[in-house]
Amino acid sequence: MGDRSVLHTRARRALRHESVRTWAALTPAVTLVLTLFGGAVVLALVRSFGLLGTDPSARPSLDAYRRLLVDPEVGRSLLLTLHVAVVSSTLAVVLGIGAALLLRGLGRGRRLTTTLFQLNLPVPHVIGAVAILSLLGQSGLLSRAATRIGMIDEPASFPALVFDPYAIGIIVQYVWKEVPFVGIVALAILHSTGDDLEEAARTLGATSWQRLRHVTLPLLLPGVLSAAVIVFAFTFGTFEVPLLLGSSFPAVLPVLAHQRYTDVDLASRPEAMAISAVITLLVLAVVVAGTTLARRTVRQDAA
Amino acid sequence: MHTRIRGAIPLLLLALVSTACGAADATGDVTREGSSIDPGDWEDVLAAADGTTLDLYMWGGSAEINRFVDEVYGPRLSGFGITLNRVPLADTADAVNAVLAELEAGRTSGGAVDLIWINGENFATMRQADALLSGWAEQLPNAALVDWTDPAIAFDAGRPVDGAESPWGSAQFQFVYDTARTDPTQLPRSYAELADWIVDNPGRFTYPAPPAFHGTRFVKQWFYELAGGPDPWVDGFDEDAYVQAAAPLWDLLDDLRPHLWRGGETYPNDIADLDRLFANGEVDLTFTQLPAGIGANVDAGTLPPTARPFVFDTGAIADHHYLAIPVNAGDPAAAMVFADLVLEPELQAAKLDPANGWGDGLAIAIDRLDDGQATTLDTIVRGLGDTAVDQDRLAEVRLPDSLGEHTQALEHDWNRFIRQRRPRS
Amino acid sequence: MTAIDSRPTSSPAEVQGVGSGRRGSVRSVVVGTMLTLLLLPFVPLVLASLADGYFYPQVVPERWSTRAWAIVLDPDGRTWAALRDTVGIAVVVMIVSLVVAVPAGRVLGTRRFRGKRVIELLLLSPVLVPTIAVALGIHVVFLRLGLAGGVAGVVLVHLIPATPYVVLLSAGVFANAELELEAQARALGASWWQARRHVTLRLIAPGLAVAALFGFLISWGQYVLTLVIGGGRVVTLPILLFATASGGDAAVTAATALFHGLPAIVLLVATTRVLGGAGLATFGGAR
Repeated sequence: MGDRSVLHTRARRALRHESVRTWAALTPAVTLVLTLFGGAVVLALVRSFGLLGTDPSARPSLDAYRRLLVDPEVGRSLLLTLHVAVVSSTLAVVLGIGAALLLRGLGRGRRLTTTLFQLNLPVPHVIGAVAILSLLGQSGLLSRAATRIGMIDEPASFPALVFDPYAIGIIVQYVWKEVPFVGIVALAILHSTGDDLEEAARTLGATSWQRLRHVTLPLLLPGVLSAAVIVFAFTFGTFEVPLLLGSSFPAVLPVLAHQRYTDVDLASRPEAMAISAVITLLVLAVVVAGTTLARRTVRQDAA
Repeated sequence: MHTRIRGAIPLLLLALVSTACGAADATGDVTREGSSIDPGDWEDVLAAADGTTLDLYMWGGSAEINRFVDEVYGPRLSGFGITLNRVPLADTADAVNAVLAELEAGRTSGGAVDLIWINGENFATMRQADALLSGWAEQLPNAALVDWTDPAIAFDAGRPVDGAESPWGSAQFQFVYDTARTDPTQLPRSYAELADWIVDNPGRFTYPAPPAFHGTRFVKQWFYELAGGPDPWVDGFDEDAYVQAAAPLWDLLDDLRPHLWRGGETYPNDIADLDRLFANGEVDLTFTQLPAGIGANVDAGTLPPTARPFVFDTGAIADHHYLAIPVNAGDPAAAMVFADLVLEPELQAAKLDPANGWGDGLAIAIDRLDDGQATTLDTIVRGLGDTAVDQDRLAEVRLPDSLGEHTQALEHDWNRFIRQRRPRS
Repeated sequence: MTAIDSRPTSSPAEVQGVGSGRRGSVRSVVVGTMLTLLLLPFVPLVLASLADGYFYPQVVPERWSTRAWAIVLDPDGRTWAALRDTVGIAVVVMIVSLVVAVPAGRVLGTRRFRGKRVIELLLLSPVLVPTIAVALGIHVVFLRLGLAGGVAGVVLVHLIPATPYVVLLSAGVFANAELELEAQARALGASWWQARRHVTLRLIAPGLAVAALFGFLISWGQYVLTLVIGGGRVVTLPILLFATASGGDAAVTAATALFHGLPAIVLLVATTRVLGGAGLATFGGAR
């Protein structure tokens, strides 16, 4: 009886000790994220209600949000931003998975190919935007090549791929940057799970399409969906690429937020914060939806 | 491999309850270092400037000007123990916003911005907010070379300068065409002719989107031509009269839109973008503000060697551009040293000569220089050649800039009626 | 933790896929096209950086010139100062984020505890929330604290996106590492320090190197946070590149872009070569 209670106390002490160590290890990272990031998000929200501005006696209000609602640019800007994020992340995921499947099947030269495949992964987006502009602009390299071989005779005959209303240039830049990202994630998953399941499926007589549909893709799905969510969030919230490649009207939401923030009229700042808050909420909503979907799909496949 | 994203609602809640880091406290100490610098005691200014870094906030849309500032003024400032940090801006309004935001946050000294390249509406905005040091410009040693009795210098877009900014140079709005593509006899010589030219040459013309400086200038000159001249808009601003006078302009720009580059769906962000379109043959006209011409752009390869500037017979807005010190500047002494340095006759001459990379107009009066200095300037002007408009011609068509309120109204309305295509009610 | 790209090439799928006639050559063509598309955008940059008066319709420049590179590589120019600041900031961000994030990564990768999911989400959230919102939200506070416009403030905001990546990557590293070896070493008489140094560190070093690389690269390429918090006074390479791009000199812009991009590429390739691809497994596994 006494022995047991000693053991019990020891176990509890050990457990408590373990728990203290766990939280001690987490504290630095959690503190950093909570104060800097959490603080920033809360402040943006508070300022979007018109607080903490010039007037210390200001009462919280939804004026900034009301102004956004009646501003015709905001609606179009939201649609454009959604269009850019949805199309880029979808393309990046589809092409990224395809690339991973291709690369996995390579024999000789796979090491070199994989290295080349990931070359633009660390390249900053500003560079990508400058590069895409000099490649796809109406007087860019492709247009010049088309002129050389006689397909077109002036820049205006080349399709408008940058500064265009469909944001093609922006999307191409994102896809170019994110396909290797999704691809590497997918490759890593394929590698860590190995070929066993697919082998088993093959022995059981599954066709290559059936193996892809019922074995490989379900294996990839959770990890790739996480990557897709990251890509979506990123393409929804990035500022420098649309600034360099986007059309003058409408601008994407992050550009709009920055414009309002740097307006000479400081009264526009709550609007900038309101746009930031809206972007944040939208991204989080998509994240929740995406991950719920992913979990449900995984469960279904498991069942 | 277990770190997946699972639902984000708790995250948001956490973010909401987490404390905002010190937002409400700290209103900043209220000492005005700036006002303790007395430009009358120049030795004192030089001593205070020694060992500081000058944060010069200036529009960065010209590679040639940027290089000139770094390479010509940078080494000279080093001689005073000052390190030059040129901060490139997409729009001067960004610097105005930065200073106002600092002041709003209670940062009344030690601010980031020491000196701003400024004029017109941005100057007006900062004066209204009482955000500039004043009374210093006329006390600079080299202010003696500046003709402060000239209204073109003592007033900036109709607003008295009051020693709150010191002139750096002068500019005049001109068009640029390419002799290899366009016959000079076919060029438009007024906005009325330009409207026809745009229709006859679809897709071959565009302009930077206001509030980009060159875009605003282009639109304002058109306004002048339609409204019968600059006069009422230089001295005062009558909202109703403006709305009436501007209506034909918005109608016209709206009608011309489909004939612009890209069908007017998008506009270049800045003059650098327009120059790139022009150099690559996407459009047939671009602009310049340089009285001594585009020689520097040609040398740098941003414009083709066959590019030539010209002006409309109906006028070209000329103005001065200045340097202004925010009230909360961290290093106002260094800022004054720079503002004085740029007025040195040899540096004004260097800036005028496109061979040195700029081609900007003078801020100092030639009749206040000694003979040798005047001869140097004269030699430069006479050697300008084809890449500059004749200086007498520029003087003939000179128009004044309008009040800041007028400029802001034009930019505001252009944004609504032309960029966003909102209906006018 | 075997390398992705140095896996023994003996699986039946591959034997069938490669070298067996038509399907293999189709695959080679597709892979070749894909790589060409991925590398194509660098071509106009290289050409433009080495050209003078490189206007439409020139495909290959008519006049070659080293003018742009001379400007970019000028010892007194702005590029080297920007490189120094970029590297300095990125190294500090990398070190601080490792110190802060690796303990958290170890716990998240190896232990189960109550509230784990919430912590994971919290630590991941900065990757999901748009940087512009973070930048604008934090700017005024940094202004009041005197952190805006300085290197210290920029380092702090760079930690916001860098820390989550390092946490995630190191969590993956620890989850995959066979940490029971550490306990075995202790059982065999190794001291706590010896076990950590000779066993654990060996196990996790390659993965942590990748995590560190990502911390570095996130800071290296950061634009918005530096722009808003640095206020133009902190001129890193992305800031310099953007300013150059809006200055209109295409050759100098291209040269600056390459100057900014090449070190990142070299770092990545060098890291994956040295680690033999173990890093990539880490990278993917953490997501």
